[in-house]
Amino acid sequence: MAQSQFSPVDEYGFERQDDFDYESYEDFMSMYLKVLATRAQKWAALLGEGKSVKRTNTVKRYVRKGIPSEHRPLVWMAISEAEIMKEQQPDLYQKILDGPFEKELVDLVKTDLPRTFPDNIFFTKEANHQTHLFNILIAYAHNNRVVGYCQGLNYIAGLLLLATKSEEISFWLLKVLVENILPDYYTRTMDGLIVDIEVLSELVKSKVPDVHQHVINLGLPWAVITTKWFVCLFAEVLPIETVLRIWDCLFYEGSKILFRVCITLIKSNRGAIMACNDFTSLAECFKTIVKNASALHCHEFMQAIFKVPGTLSNSTITKLRARFAKQRREQQQKEPR
Amino acid sequence: MATNRTGGAQRPNGAPQTKVCQFKLVLLGESAVGKSSLVLRFVKGQFHEYQESTIGAAFLTQTVCLDDTTVKFEIWDTAGQERYHSLAPMYYRGAQAAIVVYDITNQDTFGRAKNWVKELQRQASPSIVIALAGNKSDLAAKRMVEFEEAQAYADENGLLFMETSAKTAMNVNDIFLAIANKLPKSESGGGAGGAGGARRLADGDTPRASSCCK
Ligand SMILES: Nc1nc2c(ncn2[C@@H]2O[C@H](COP(=O)(O)OP(=O)(O)OP(=O)(O)O)[C@@H](O)[C@H]2O)c(=O)[nH]1
Ligand SMILES: [Mg+2]
Repeated sequence: MAQSQFSPVDEYGFERQDDFDYESYEDFMSMYLKVLATRAQKWAALLGEGKSVKRTNTVKRYVRKGIPSEHRPLVWMAISEAEIMKEQQPDLYQKILDGPFEKELVDLVKTDLPRTFPDNIFFTKEANHQTHLFNILIAYAHNNRVVGYCQGLNYIAGLLLLATKSEEISFWLLKVLVENILPDYYTRTMDGLIVDIEVLSELVKSKVPDVHQHVINLGLPWAVITTKWFVCLFAEVLPIETVLRIWDCLFYEGSKILFRVCITLIKSNRGAIMACNDFTSLAECFKTIVKNASALHCHEFMQAIFKVPGTLSNSTITKLRARFAKQRREQQQKEPR
Repeated sequence: MATNRTGGAQRPNGAPQTKVCQFKLVLLGESAVGKSSLVLRFVKGQFHEYQESTIGAAFLTQTVCLDDTTVKFEIWDTAGQERYHSLAPMYYRGAQAAIVVYDITNQDTFGRAKNWVKELQRQASPSIVIALAGNKSDLAAKRMVEFEEAQAYADENGLLFMETSAKTAMNVNDIFLAIANKLPKSESGGGAGGAGGARRLADGDTPRASSCCK
């Protein structure tokens, strides 16, 4: 196989897997580079000399088309309003890092440091990202005692670090994600996660009923398929450029985007899912659909998430969340653990 | 099976007369005790010094051959952190076998393993085969859980027990084989439909499990 012009390590430091498909990646990149070039010009004009980014419809449209990687730190901070959080407590991050730290939290975080992106050259023992990752996670665990440290945050913080190359920016973006953008995914009972999985199941049931029925019939709960999708916000699930494009929208538009991505994955792969006739092939199918060519072609994929699922209003999601949260509370009252 | 997408490991290996049985197996235990490493060793014969932490659960399959039976394991490798606990019933519901793993160098993980055993005895299928694995046996110098203590506990509770090392491969195939041997391979075997709690996952499993031996 020709290794083409692509190095065995991608631009974010991940080693390409043995089965990496250089050919289809080359196809993708030859198109995507053109997209990137036009995009860079437009953003340069928008950002100009030191202009600040506002939450306007123009910016929203630009964000949907993707933020150039060099602008991501600044733009993410602005559109998510993490910037505002930071202005209110500018010294917070440094202060927490002065310690002291609780041993239990330190042990918990340390266990996961070498287990986060072990095949990324920046996360090896010799490189320095493990130290940065420790600082972000330990600072956050002390800052938000309700969450503390939840596995999964290591991948989110790790990818924030790779994308922003800044510990402190990563800390604020992690904080804004967990506290403003997402429901309670990472708390001790993970209630928000369990509710959102129910919400997704309901949305699939109404938007792609045959797939929903088929998956239920084969005995695979949606929670089994999608826990990692929600917890990791698709990091370690979809190809990295696709994840970052999703995060662009997540920081601007909020957690609704996650449902759009889930439904797109399910609906665009309807044929493959329906062709599975047992549990094993279905479980394997959900592993492949997050790695196939349409998941890799991030630009088309991001166009698809705004078309394929059809209308998806915030009020629908709010209503469904309220309904399943209520059901869950009632259930818990009936059967105390 | 024509549309099966997975690799070679689960292809029944040609022997015409053998029965093929499928069993659902779940791995439970505290984070970082080596659940994913045991599965990786068993399924791919590999070991990674730095194994990624599992989020939710990972699904793999592997086939072992006994004398006259091919046993296909559908393996759910779950996340160990306590807060993922509420998701665990989804994985052990309808499971015919479980490996509860602890780390011999860490006493807390043994306590956690006992809690998993209790929970399985209460909530999982009554016929579930449970194995206890004291992993990282290569780190005997740092041992905190005595072999005899764990063996006694396993005996009291009717569990299979082995000390394993995903790193050196010691007892890894053996523990899966021991489970395969202990699982009922008769027509009615499998135990998927047995438990009151065997909903959802079991619904899909039931027709197949009961006809598993052809
Ligand atoms: N020395 C030694 N190390 C091991 C052994 N098994 C696993 N490890 C190491 O222990 C760490 C955790 O192993 P995992 O297999 O990821 O543990 P896990 O139980 O799957 O953890 P979670 O996914 O977080 O629940 C890894 O860095 C492994 O390399 C073993 O038998 N011996
Ligand atoms: Mg694991």
